[in-house]
This record gives sequence, structure tokens and C-alpha cells, in this order.
Amino acid sequence: MIDLEPLWLTAKLALITTIILLTVSIPLCYWLAYSKFKFKAAVEAIVSLPLVLPPSVLGFYLLLAFSPKNTFGKFLDQYFDAHLVFTFEGLIIASVLYSLPFMVHPIQSGLKNLPISLKEAAFTLGKSKFTTLTKILLPNIKSSILTGIVLTFAHTVGEFGVVLMIGGSIPGETKVMSIAIYDEVQSMNYYTANVYAAILFSFTFLILLGVYLLNNSFSKTNPLND
Amino acid sequence: MINFYTHKMLQTADGKLPLDVSFTVEKGQFLSIYGNSGAGKTTILRILAGLTEAEKVDIEVENEVWDNSQKKYHLPVQKRSIGFVFQDFALFPNLTVKENLEFALQKNDTPHIVAELIELMELQSLQNSKPQNLSGGQKQRVALARAIVRKPKILLLDEPLSALDDEMRFKLQDYIIKIHQHYQLTTLMISHTIAEIFKLSDKVIILDKGKIVKEGTPSSVFSEEKISSKFKLTGEIISISKSDIVYVVQVLSGNNIVKVIATEDEIKDFRIGQKVLVASKAFNPIIQVIS
Amino acid sequence: MNTLNGTITTIQSHEGISLVKVKSGNTIFTSIVLDSPETVSYLKTDYPVKILFKETEVIIAKDFNPNISIQNRILCSIQSIKKGVILSQINLVSDKVSIKSIITSNACNQLELKENDTVIALIKTNEVSLSPND
Repeated sequence: MIDLEPLWLTAKLALITTIILLTVSIPLCYWLAYSKFKFKAAVEAIVSLPLVLPPSVLGFYLLLAFSPKNTFGKFLDQYFDAHLVFTFEGLIIASVLYSLPFMVHPIQSGLKNLPISLKEAAFTLGKSKFTTLTKILLPNIKSSILTGIVLTFAHTVGEFGVVLMIGGSIPGETKVMSIAIYDEVQSMNYYTANVYAAILFSFTFLILLGVYLLNNSFSKTNPLND
Repeated sequence: MINFYTHKMLQTADGKLPLDVSFTVEKGQFLSIYGNSGAGKTTILRILAGLTEAEKVDIEVENEVWDNSQKKYHLPVQKRSIGFVFQDFALFPNLTVKENLEFALQKNDTPHIVAELIELMELQSLQNSKPQNLSGGQKQRVALARAIVRKPKILLLDEPLSALDDEMRFKLQDYIIKIHQHYQLTTLMISHTIAEIFKLSDKVIILDKGKIVKEGTPSSVFSEEKISSKFKLTGEIISISKSDIVYVVQVLSGNNIVKVIATEDEIKDFRIGQKVLVASKAFNPIIQVIS
Repeated sequence: MNTLNGTITTIQSHEGISLVKVKSGNTIFTSIVLDSPETVSYLKTDYPVKILFKETEVIIAKDFNPNISIQNRILCSIQSIKKGVILSQINLVSDKVSIKSIITSNACNQLELKENDTVIALIKTNEVSLSPND
């Protein structure tokens, strides 16, 4: 009997990570796209770090930071009663950091590619930054947002190194699909590994397919999103 | 009345250029700003709108301070009673024509003004179209209508007609006049076309390398005491053709074409597209009533 | 367009209309303009001005003292003639100043104009424009 728990866990992790990142990235991207802050480049570099850093490095640092033996981990433990090592919550935080550039980059470039006059026109019509963002800017970068959502979701589904470092392989808590496959291969259960891999493969393919279909229909109705 | 002063260092292709400008515009006046590209025309409109900051700026509109760099006061763009028509129209692609106009409504506004503007600008048949399906002239009309929804005191037009062909241009000039008068606006327009400035504006400022080099009524600025002739019009040479031993030069002024005889020596200095002043004594023309 | 340099000698104004006499070489030109010294700065005696008039407004006469209303009369000699089918251009010279006249070829033939003929160029007062020369 195939244990489907890792599949649900993966989906749950990817979904929560995507929702958190979407909420965080929109204001961050607005700031990155329009701010004239001197050290903006440094912020952009930090956001992009997970793209080039081996996942094990990120995982290792997070493991150190969250460990109850260290100051930050101790602080979390004492004041918030939060245990982030080898827990689902810790996994979410790690995934958010790890997938940050996959959400930020498409949205940021979407905003940058919009003519600046759209934002300015909304301002001259007496509209606040918030109204301008929600009524004008975001609706015109639908495909960028969608790309961000999908990349983040898919990237979280596929992550392995970070999860291994910070989450381990606790069934029902941190044992996601990629880890489960690894475990099964280690235990020579090639059949189960195969089934898991096939599920992951078709699951990811279907998501991407859906997105590209949807995206094509967006670009047909909106020439700005090409 | 608008009192405007600014000093700002501009970064241009030829290096740094100080923009240093001061002028006043009476309420209800139509002011044109004329000058080479890179002279700082757009920057003036943007500073007045609050979209661009300047090192030194002092703006007062009908006794209300909009900017005062000494007192570090800056009224945000949203609070300024302006309508801005951008060079690229800046219509919102996700909204229909009508929704573009409705977006400009403020909290307690009645949507009545939207219907009124749709009618005034003859947009009835386009109101449910998205901007990408409109022609340049149609987009311009929508942008103009949208800028008026808030009933601003000041209308700012950044080369509104530069992208349009002549026929469309003349039509839109009429729409601009209509809007300016109907809503009793004070209008500032950037324009490259002398004929357009003559047709629309009461006052013109000529800007060169960040400084005002001339200001006054269009006729005093563009043809000041240059010739005693009273029958004058400015226009563009559109054709030169030989006719016996003389040449017929066609000049387009506004939407009128006039023909003038010139000698072989004279046409050596003429070329198509050149801006010219056509003059004749007030004694020559005859006037007939059009029935 | 004929352009001659001159200086204003007298101005007679009445109700916004002025009769201006301008000396160019040894010739006095009269021009009538819808301006007065109050409305334009260049209308004052001794001010340098350009005298402008169109070639097609220059009348040619072989009679040196015609009894007609035209005020501006310049004694010239014909330097060259450029004949067209309908129109002819007569290039005149007077006192080193060149003046051009465009008349119909019929008129040119009728007057039997040829090079080195001495003629009078006539220009109506209301065809002469002035332009400040600065």
C-alpha cells in the first residue's frame, strides 16, 4: 500500500508557502520597482541569494539559527514557544526564504515593465498608492503574478536540500515527496519510489501546463503582458 | 492664478543643464510652452503636477501653496487639483473607456460627470471598448476626458497632439478649446507647432536650455514687429511648383492652404516643411460675407 | 520680393494710419502702414528700415513724367529681361540698387522693352511694407 501522506504534506507546504510569499512579495516588489533607496541593490542581492546558494548552505544556516542551543533559537523557544527545527513550521519558513526570488523576480519585472505613466496617471487622478496598486498595477501584470505563483509552488514541491537539512524525514511532519522518494530509494523500494516519482512528475507537469494555457489567454486579451 | 518658480539640475544627453524658470498664469488663461526637446518643458509640467521634485521650488495656485522648498512643504500629487494628459496617453489597459473615466471619480462624486464627458467628447460608441482597440486620436480624447473628471483647476497637456496626423490634430484642437472653455480651466500645454499655439493659446513661453527666452502673446512672440504688414499668417511650406517664370508656393496654416507667388531667387531659400510667415498689406485682401 | 535699405525721414499719422517717407539712396519712397509711432517702436525719424514690395506690384512706364496718382517713381535702366510665355521678369537697376518687376509678356512686348532702355518703375504707396532693420 502506497502511503500518500508525503503527497498531501508537499501540497500543503507548497500552498502555504505560496500564499505567504504572494502576500509578502507584492509590497516588497512595489518597493523594489519604484524606490530610489541607496542600498536597494543590496536588498535585491539578498533576495536573489537562494538562486545561486546550494540549498544545503541555506539549510545549514537555518538549522544553526533555529537550534534551541543558539541565541535566536533560544529566544524563539522562550518567548514564543516556537520550535522550528524538524517541524512543519520550520519547513515553511525555510521554503519561504528559499523560494523568495521565484515569486519576487516575475512580479518585480512585471511592475518595472509597466509604463511609469500608468502609476503617475492614477496619482494625478487623486488615487492613493494602495488603490493604484490594487486597481491598476496588479490587474495589468496578471501573467507575471501567475508566473510567480507557479514557479514558487513548483519550486517548493521540488525542494530537497533545505528540507533535508532543517526538516529531516519525520512522517506527517516533514517527510515531503522528494524526501520520501529518497528514503524509498535508500531502502531499495524502487517500486514505491517509482510511483512517488511518477505522481510528482505528472502533478508538476499538469500544473505548469495549466498555467501556460491560462497565460496564453491572458496575453491575448492584454497586450501589455507579453 | 498660478505663481511658479523652480530651479532644478537636469541630466541631459549633453551633460548637466540648470532649469531655472519663473512665470505666472492668470486664471482661465491658456499657456503654451514652446522650445527644443531637452529644454525642460516636460519637467516644468511634472514639477507643477508634483510628479517630479526639484532643488528649489515655489508654487502657489490661487493663493494656496503647493510647493515651498524653503519651508519644506510639498503638497502630494493626489491633493493637487490637476488633470494631466500624458504623451503616451497612459490609459489603463485593464479598464474600458467608461471604466477609465469612472476610475477618476472621487468618493462623493456623482457619476453624472462621466456621462457628460462621454457625450461632450463623443465617446458614446467607444465607451465599452478597451484602450488597445482605439486609434491614437480616440485614445487622446479618452485621456483628455479622463483628466477632466475630477474637475481640476489646471489642465496640463504634455505634447498631446504630437503623435497624430494633421486632420486628427485639428479636430482635437477643437476638443481642447471646447474643454478649456466649458470647464473654465487654466491650461498649460507643451507644443512644437506654432500654428497650434496661435490657434489655442493666449500666452506662450519659449524655453531654451532651461531658461525662458521670450514670453507674451503668440503674435508678439512669434512675429514681433518684424514687418508692418497686417495680413499675416504663419504656416508650413507644403509644396513649391514652377509656373512659367515664377513659382507657386503652397503654405499650410491651420487647416487653410494659401498660395503665394515667389521668384526663382526666393525659392532657393525655401524648402518643404519650413515654417514661414506669409504677409501682405492690410490694403490688399478683400472680404466677402459667406452666405 | 524687392528689399531696399533706407532710413525714415518723415512720418505723418492720423487715427492709427501713417504715411511714412523713407530715403533709400537718392530716392524717397512713400509707404502707408496701419501703425503709428505709439504702437510700434521703429516708427521714428532716422530709424533704419527695409523697404519691401513684391515684384508683381512694380509697374513699368516709358513716359518719364506720367500724370497719375502713383507716388513712388524710380528712374531705372533695364539690365536684363527674362521672358516667359505669360509673364516676364524685368531686372532693373537704379543707383546701384536692383529692382525686379514681373509683368505680363504681352505688356513687355507692347512697350517694346529691351536691355539698356531707361524706364520708370512705379509702386503704389499701399504696396510698400516696412520692416525694422536691426
